[in-house]
Amino acid sequence: MITLKNVSFSYEGEERKSLNNINLSIKKGEFIVLCGKSGCGKTSITRLLNGLIPHYYDGKLEGETLLDNNSISQLPLYDIAREVGSVFQNPKSQFFNQDVFSELAFICENLGMTKREIHQRVTKSISSFSISHLLERDVSQLSGGEKQRIACASVSAPNPNIYLFDEPSSNLDVQGIALLRNTMANLKKQGKTIVVAEHRLHYLMDLADKIILMVDGKIEKSYTREDFLNLPPITRNSMGLRCARLQELLPYKSEEKPVFQKHIAFKGFCYMHKSAKKHSLHMNPFYIPKGSVTAIIGENGAGKSTFAKCLCGIYKKCGLMEIEGKDENWKARRSTCYMVMQDVNHQLFTESVLDEVLLSMDQEEEVLAKKVLKSLDLEHLSHRHPISLSGGQKQRAAIATAVVSNREVIIFDEPTSGLDFTHMKEVSKQLRELSKTGKTIMVITHDPELILDCCNYIIKIGGGGVKESYPLHQNREKLLHYFIEGGVSVE
Amino acid sequence: MSTTSRNSKLTGKDLVTVGIYTAIYFASIMVVGFLGFIPIFIPLLSVLVPIVGGIPFMLFLSRTKKFGMITIFSLLNGLFMFITGMGIYSIATGLIFGLLADLMIRSGDYQSSKKSLLGYGVFSCWLFGNFMPFYIGRKAQFEMLTEGYGAEYATALEKLMPLHLAPVMFAACFLFALVGGVIGRTACKKHFKRAGII
Amino acid sequence: METDKTPFYIIDPRTKLLILALNSVFVFGGAGGADTTMEILRHVITFIPLGLLFFGGKRKPVLLAAIFYVAFHVLQVTLFEHTKGVLNYILLFSIGVFVRILPNIMSGYYFISTTRVSELVGAMEKMHLTDKLIIPIAVMMRFFPVAMEEAGAVHDAMGMRGIRFGGRHPSKILEYRLIPMITCSVKTGEELSASALARGLGSPIKRTNICSIGFRALDYAFWILGVFTVFVFITTLL
Repeated sequence: MITLKNVSFSYEGEERKSLNNINLSIKKGEFIVLCGKSGCGKTSITRLLNGLIPHYYDGKLEGETLLDNNSISQLPLYDIAREVGSVFQNPKSQFFNQDVFSELAFICENLGMTKREIHQRVTKSISSFSISHLLERDVSQLSGGEKQRIACASVSAPNPNIYLFDEPSSNLDVQGIALLRNTMANLKKQGKTIVVAEHRLHYLMDLADKIILMVDGKIEKSYTREDFLNLPPITRNSMGLRCARLQELLPYKSEEKPVFQKHIAFKGFCYMHKSAKKHSLHMNPFYIPKGSVTAIIGENGAGKSTFAKCLCGIYKKCGLMEIEGKDENWKARRSTCYMVMQDVNHQLFTESVLDEVLLSMDQEEEVLAKKVLKSLDLEHLSHRHPISLSGGQKQRAAIATAVVSNREVIIFDEPTSGLDFTHMKEVSKQLRELSKTGKTIMVITHDPELILDCCNYIIKIGGGGVKESYPLHQNREKLLHYFIEGGVSVE
Repeated sequence: MSTTSRNSKLTGKDLVTVGIYTAIYFASIMVVGFLGFIPIFIPLLSVLVPIVGGIPFMLFLSRTKKFGMITIFSLLNGLFMFITGMGIYSIATGLIFGLLADLMIRSGDYQSSKKSLLGYGVFSCWLFGNFMPFYIGRKAQFEMLTEGYGAEYATALEKLMPLHLAPVMFAACFLFALVGGVIGRTACKKHFKRAGII
Repeated sequence: METDKTPFYIIDPRTKLLILALNSVFVFGGAGGADTTMEILRHVITFIPLGLLFFGGKRKPVLLAAIFYVAFHVLQVTLFEHTKGVLNYILLFSIGVFVRILPNIMSGYYFISTTRVSELVGAMEKMHLTDKLIIPIAVMMRFFPVAMEEAGAVHDAMGMRGIRFGGRHPSKILEYRLIPMITCSVKTGEELSASALARGLGSPIKRTNICSIGFRALDYAFWILGVFTVFVFITTLL
């Protein structure tokens, strides 16, 4: 039903072909997973199928994309929307309405259906996605998994036969992923054709019929699910792919048990949002080893980000951090703690990487700045505009500013969401190296591969408090159990 | 940057772009806009807003290739001012100066940097709509104030927003927009172009 | 026919626009001068959005605004004449803010906090506005909070870096504040555009709107009040 014939595409202003001579046919009812390193072209394929290429993204398009023998580039976007439903990754930009019901009706409204028809269709989506309990809520109050379910339900209203997902799990926690998987299984059962471009593969393995590996804008190979799962994990990793089963992560190189002499204690971290009725953060005293790489895990909304903001003094007057026998309040922590935000773009201000580092120094010393840049492998980029860097380079630039301003504790907010295996490994290496220089690292994350690769201590947060804390050494199974079983209860 | 489309009719994409950039323009001028809550700073806004607004406006121009986008952008400003409780007159000034700016920038084929700059100057005069409540029906107001609260009140108010300040503020909107436009263009070159946004 | 379960204090967005306009012209703009009826109408017009907000559950800001409005109005009538110099000036400013500007801000707050994008779109469609306006307005209303969120995140990041007014590069403070906010907003905005267009927004077909908006008792009452106010205004001109 979908056929791509010799399709090539390069985005406006780019020399490189993002898609290079793609030939692909997708049968009705197939579940296709597109995978590969960042920038391999998997997202571009989804954009081709929903018409955003060429109707929204300008560029040079060659070849033909046929949807039931109609050329997609000839159809206007609103006609494609009847046949193809698109689900994106970012909840901040994916929805158009505040309330769930309007969102469900949005496409039908745009297509000018009658009110009666809209009500019928929306009622049908509500029952087929079992979301009647969410109708009264605002989209912003929903959990990540619920949001993706609403996104699916809303694109399902005009009854399309094809569903596209562009990295739908990037912002999801364990439960969210389980809910998403469940939603996709439901669509598959209805006989819908599904195409998913994704880095995280493990949750798709029971659903996928075909796994297509892309490299540099070309289709490298197409696997059946069995063939793909039979590949040794190390082969998949070398293709830049994440694990296909979480269990693969269990075996590890025999590492020595890390020894920590000192601790950092956190006392009285409580925070209440202005409009809230109860504390969103209410933590009993806890500690982490100084010099460790500590993972902070827990569901979305458990209070992880609130803790990070309190720690860095963004939220004021909250808690004391005892380090080297000294109690530091929020004000003091503004110069000892630093957060690398999930969207690093928020914290890069200047016009070159070098300026960025100089800005963070008490005394602008170019020699020292260059030394730090060199240690982070940024020296050759020191005159580039920070925003023009790749995601990983931006993170390193932010790290550089933390290093030169002598921060003791650096907390990362989901540094690997939406990263492929190779880039995740880079982040992991960076974190380990930072901790070797004596910094204490905290990582808020939903990424078990990252944790098992570089962390050595775990703090689990739930309901605004610390639920559990343990060293990772000899507790790998326990941690993995959380990520495997955590989602099961939802289904 | 998008290619110049032969079709000069506004498409859905263009309309969405206008909405996005109006929001960005507003979020930008909010940086100084809060000063407007303090009456003594109100006249100062005719200097600050055109300066700050230059950056988002010049970026918006890089996405503008068709007639109508600037007019809608400007009219939207007025409407947004209205629904956030800043008065009704900006709807009129927004429409008028937006249309004039659009015509001016179109005469340079949406390419000429000189005309873009002047166009931004003209566009920024929409801001005067915010000051109009202080001047419209001024006579009636003074009568009311003198009758109701004594002549002193009326004179004090006259001191705060004297009549001769009106043309000064109007001119400030235009002139400081030229400054803001240059800043905006520099920012586009220095930041947005190098960052790969345009 | 279902019975109307909508609470009485929910009014049509078009009526909200009317209240805004009345506030803007007669309270902020002071049209109608010192006419006694107009003076009373000004108080009524000021208290309509406050009352509606109060019933809608926004108790605290409403009470605060009401207290300030009444207090400064009383000061304006009583104490003001007898003050001199600096005190006179300060009082003048404060009266301007709390008696003329505040009611407008509150009606703006009322509009923004109680009107959903879909309702506003529905209202504009009923007013037969063109899609060329409706679509950008809807997008702007949808996107403005996102842009402010980005601005907030940039503000947080500046605090963490210790970049503030009076820092080392005072001339660049504007740049630091605006550039990252605009950059992030442009990126999110592009995603939003793509998503909205892929969901059929901007099609030339006449849009349907499922929002159940329409005039009810309170709406008619406010429109009658509006007509009456304009009538009083005209009589003051004669």
